[in-house]
Amino acid sequence: MAQVTLRDIRKSFGNVEVLHGISLDIASGEFVSLLGASGCGKTTLLRIVAGLESVSAGSVAIDGREVTPLPPERRDIAMMFQSYALLPHLSVFENVRFPLRMRRLGSREAQRDKVAAALETVQLSHLADRRPRQLSGGQQQRVALARAIVSDPKVLLLDEPLSNLDARLREEMQVELIELHRRLGLTTLFVTHDQEEALSLSDRIILINAGRIEQQGRPEEIYARPATAFASSFLGSANLVPATVEQGDHGPVALLADGQRLPLAPEATARGPATLVLRQEDLMLQIAGSEGLRATIATRVYLGGRIRYVLDLAGSRVSVLAPNDLVFRRGDDVCLAIRPQAVGVLPT
Amino acid sequence: MVRAVPPALRIAAWVFVAATALFLLAPLVVVAGVSVSESQFIAFPPDGLTLRWYEEVLASDAYLAAAALSLQVAVLVTLAATIVGGAAAIALHRRRLPGSDALATAFLSPLVLPTIIYAIGMLMLWSALFGPVSLLTLALSHTVIALPYVVRTTLAVLAESDPFLEEAARTMGAGRLQRLFHVVVPQCLPGLAAGAFFAFNISFDEAVLSLFLRKPGLTTLPVQIYGQLEFSPDPSVAAVSTIMIGVTVLLIVVIDRLLGLQRFASP
Repeated sequence: MAQVTLRDIRKSFGNVEVLHGISLDIASGEFVSLLGASGCGKTTLLRIVAGLESVSAGSVAIDGREVTPLPPERRDIAMMFQSYALLPHLSVFENVRFPLRMRRLGSREAQRDKVAAALETVQLSHLADRRPRQLSGGQQQRVALARAIVSDPKVLLLDEPLSNLDARLREEMQVELIELHRRLGLTTLFVTHDQEEALSLSDRIILINAGRIEQQGRPEEIYARPATAFASSFLGSANLVPATVEQGDHGPVALLADGQRLPLAPEATARGPATLVLRQEDLMLQIAGSEGLRATIATRVYLGGRIRYVLDLAGSRVSVLAPNDLVFRRGDDVCLAIRPQAVGVLPT
Repeated sequence: MVRAVPPALRIAAWVFVAATALFLLAPLVVVAGVSVSESQFIAFPPDGLTLRWYEEVLASDAYLAAAALSLQVAVLVTLAATIVGGAAAIALHRRRLPGSDALATAFLSPLVLPTIIYAIGMLMLWSALFGPVSLLTLALSHTVIALPYVVRTTLAVLAESDPFLEEAARTMGAGRLQRLFHVVVPQCLPGLAAGAFFAFNISFDEAVLSLFLRKPGLTTLPVQIYGQLEFSPDPSVAAVSTIMIGVTVLLIVVIDRLLGLQRFASP
């Protein structure tokens, strides 16, 4: 267990700077996700912590010790790759033993016990003699995980480890990762483009956009109070609607492009042009003539248990989830209700 | 559903396959047939059935000495070509060398270079620099023409391998040498083995270089066969050839069982 300190990390490939000065402190035992779209620089940042990529400027310290010039083999880290990177010519047992063997940690017997314990942790003891290609994707993934934890690394780095699994396995592995982290308390840095994964696993989410930290915080914080339009569109299925905030008779009011008025919570202090954040789970769809904003059904997507309606609200597209017995047709006029407290306001 | 192949095309395909089989396999059948003929001369179809030419070959000092030399050269070539070719393939695969593409072409050039030109040049160069040719000259020149095969088979396996394995090994604490012996070489092994097999066969069968670089006491098996055929043709030549075919087929079967050769068949 160790803390990781990144100071003003910059990275350029040729003339293109992909990381524009990232500083980050990761506490001992913390599970931190680097969340962002592909190409935002999150994987590059992870590879810099691993030592697989050099920095153009800035420094990396693990447990207060400067490791910036050290190659990966001399940093006490473990990394799990998206492709799992199991050695095809070695058995599962030998794959898991590999870090111990390379680092010459402990006697042969001690190594065997550690490998057995790691395989036990991921429930693969019975497959120790198999070759990686004889295993399913999920099993290979567990082998990679066992191999990553076997040497008690100071920092565990995970590069989109769940993205090659099907939906069911992915959910299972999420639970296992949470439990594993709770048990071992390893300082973990997790790269993902999947906001749900980041929300469900992390102690803290670092949202990265175009080589900069866009926002960071606990999952609840970052989900409930996205600080920017990018953050709100990336986290959850938020609808963004342009508006102008004015002082109404009973507090602030948002004026939509078509002149409709939406009352806001008194906490909304900013005035002037803004972007409204309307989460689809906060929006209530009602028949025309009810209280709320007038909108028109543009598209209907049947999801089984629920129906997603895409509406035209004052020229913006707004997506809403409705129970599957609430049936509208394309072109129907409807009403949208939302609590004033649930409306996010981002001044523009 | 696969669309039906027009009958004309189907017939053409059969003719093609039959012609391939005829010109590839029939000569081997002729050689094997001649080797058991009772006739003093090389004649096909064989008349009679005897193994005396095999006896003669196995009792002949000239053939045995030539076979021993060929074997020594082939073993040296196999070792040298596998080590040099394997190392070259690993370096080329990483593409970190300046001029990788030019180097790759250079390594494959013996495939298209006329061997006879190379043989003349090698003879002149060696004579000018070191004097009389020796077993080393043969081994060296054979290694040059065997290299492309090792380079190609090794590159083929590397192209299929997971590019992240070495990085993963680094994060697991493996230093440069550890990565070479625990990750890179094991990955290359099937390609190296197949390349070694090709190298052995090429050296063992090679006639043009060996003909130019021969001297009394430095006669390889193919050259011995050629000399015999030229000056006193009898079915013992066919018997030796049949043994060579047998050894090659055996090697192919063994290697194919161990590694599967189809993967190296396509470029």
